[in-house]
Amino acid sequence: MDNSGQVKFIRRIKKALGHPKEDHRRMAEFFNLPISENDRTILKHIKNRTRQEKRKLLKTLIEAAKPINLNVIMLPDVSSVTLAIADLVEQKEPEWGSKKSVMSWNHPLVERLNLKEALSAQNVPVFVSELKNEEEQSASSSDERQRLRQQVIDSYIGITSADFCMADTATLVMRTRPGQARAVSLVPLIHVAVIGEDQIIADLKELYVLLKWDPEHQKETLTNCMTFISGPSKTADIEANMVHGAHGPREVYIYVITNKD
Amino acid sequence: MAEITTENYLSEAKRAIKNQVLQNALEDLQQRFGTATALAYQNLPEGPGLRFKAHDIRMDTIENLDIILEKLAANIQKNGGHVFFAQDGQDAVDYSLQVARRHNVKGVVKGKSMVTEEIGLNNAFIEAGIDVTETDLGEYIIQLAGEHPSHIIAPAIHKTRNDVGKLFSEKLDIPFITDPPKLTQAARKALREKFLSADMGASGCNLACAETGHITTVSNEGNIRMAATMPKIHIAFMGMERVVARLEDHDVLIRLLCRGASAQNMSTYVSYIGGPRYPGQADGPEEFHLVILDNGRSRMLADEDFREMLCCIRCAACLNVCPVYGKIGGHSYGFTYSGPVGAVVTPLLVGINRAKDLCLGETLCGACQDACPVNIDIPRMLLVLRQKLAEGDPAWGVTPANRKERAMYSAWSWMIRNRKVYDLFLKMTAFGQKFLPQKDGMIRRLPPPMHGWTKSRDMKPIAAESFMKRWKKL
Repeated sequence: MDNSGQVKFIRRIKKALGHPKEDHRRMAEFFNLPISENDRTILKHIKNRTRQEKRKLLKTLIEAAKPINLNVIMLPDVSSVTLAIADLVEQKEPEWGSKKSVMSWNHPLVERLNLKEALSAQNVPVFVSELKNEEEQSASSSDERQRLRQQVIDSYIGITSADFCMADTATLVMRTRPGQARAVSLVPLIHVAVIGEDQIIADLKELYVLLKWDPEHQKETLTNCMTFISGPSKTADIEANMVHGAHGPREVYIYVITNKD
Repeated sequence: MAEITTENYLSEAKRAIKNQVLQNALEDLQQRFGTATALAYQNLPEGPGLRFKAHDIRMDTIENLDIILEKLAANIQKNGGHVFFAQDGQDAVDYSLQVARRHNVKGVVKGKSMVTEEIGLNNAFIEAGIDVTETDLGEYIIQLAGEHPSHIIAPAIHKTRNDVGKLFSEKLDIPFITDPPKLTQAARKALREKFLSADMGASGCNLACAETGHITTVSNEGNIRMAATMPKIHIAFMGMERVVARLEDHDVLIRLLCRGASAQNMSTYVSYIGGPRYPGQADGPEEFHLVILDNGRSRMLADEDFREMLCCIRCAACLNVCPVYGKIGGHSYGFTYSGPVGAVVTPLLVGINRAKDLCLGETLCGACQDACPVNIDIPRMLLVLRQKLAEGDPAWGVTPANRKERAMYSAWSWMIRNRKVYDLFLKMTAFGQKFLPQKDGMIRRLPPPMHGWTKSRDMKPIAAESFMKRWKKL
């Protein structure tokens, strides 16, 4: 059965191209190729990056962030990031209502910020985008999803980490996992991403080499939703005037923790 | 299919040239993007030569499209996504309506997608009683105004802030404002409600990756992310050529796409979407559908003259440099695709005779090829189309567009190969032209049937003595 129309469709393409029907050989020429010498060198280069080289990447990132109105802030440790976020929560006003709340990822680095406690002084609740019940079809998980959805809609700041940050274009790379919902970096007015200096890579080329060939990332690859974020949402659709916050966040902050502890 | 009004090219073009608001907007657009994109190519670490590599990658993909699409479909299905192959626009529309009906969809939010314009998806949904909202700010503006996009990337360039202010105050029931940030905020608010209440999100696909099984969507506003995250169903549409085999191909093409489209090093959002949410993930769509569309593309693929056009990644860089588009705007082209890309693609999709003025109207100056991130030789294909129009081509169902012109050129060709006849012709015209209206040594008007030639230009008179005669005297 060919409900999807695939067989006929592909047959028409083969005919248009004049290719023979059997093409396992061509398939092998295109996919599952071994790692190239060049990619191996890049991989090695990423792994053996010196402290100085890493600092240089951070400088590149800060420069690339400026023209796209993205705030990249170097901070020495986790506790100074917590303070910075508490300041931000105090200064910034919510977009739709008057009640302040924050939504965060369930992520080891974000957890170490101890935001619940830090923001309790301001009476600002911190919600975590995590399903307690992971059974997809159960009624309780659907209720829970609904609750998380409402929480992210109500929150005016979303706090995430990222898998990588590409210095060249000032781009956060985020993969989707349980506990790390997509909406946290999208729906709130302000997006805050907290990363370690080691997560900075040079560019797209390095990213793709890591995703494809690094044993640590190879298994998970891209997940079902990998997102690049380069700065705040923007539009220039009315008389070419640049306006931030078209649909996504109006402000984006990347806090880079420079000290390893 | 979308409405086709390619027959009105000339009258629409004349109207556009008289529209001063549009003229200013087009000039501004081309000045901003034209030079900025060229500079963005120069600033690539590999230099502008990366465009040639990109062309090779795209050609290699197109020539192996069968196995690449099979791989893409298999990978998406493995991740729980549905893939549908649509032979034509109607197939694609029918499938989307089926999915919508199965889930009792009442509202659809859409990210900008030219291919859904091509198949007329919005009207089909509206006729089925489903509310469809365009969510790209420019597309939203023109949807509220009941128009069609006039540019692939900047669909509402023909609207002023006053137009938008009036439109919003009427349709969104807000006070009249003209400040772009405030107008944007009003749209953000109205569209946020749509995103949160919609049951289905629809998007295009900029460039899929076969080996990983993902589509990509690129936007600056974040509307496509919204449409692909908040509703319970995500349906994506792609022309069958919008794919490459591997991630390393994306390294070249995503960078060039962002530069070609808007002179950015990277657009604000690029998403790789490879299926519905996994168990345990808090958000993302329950169902993911990918509709892969032929709709005349396999015919382009089969013709080696036009196969190259399938390399196009619809970035609109060619519109931003085209001297013709820069004057007549997008609506004159009478179909979804405008500018140089439209001048080749539209005739091939809707009929070469029907859209003949599109390829005849371009100048062959080559600016489009220089601006193209994948270096497509558009002028070459414009010439092939013109040749088909001149000589006819049964394979494409083309009849010679102008039999009178063809007869005249045949006669001309016969005459210049017969010296005596030609000399007689020269003698007669040298004499006859004295009776034509002249100014500053130029002929102002030719008599019918050649009068069209002097409609917008003067003509140099024929020399009193031919070169051959003067040569003999020397």
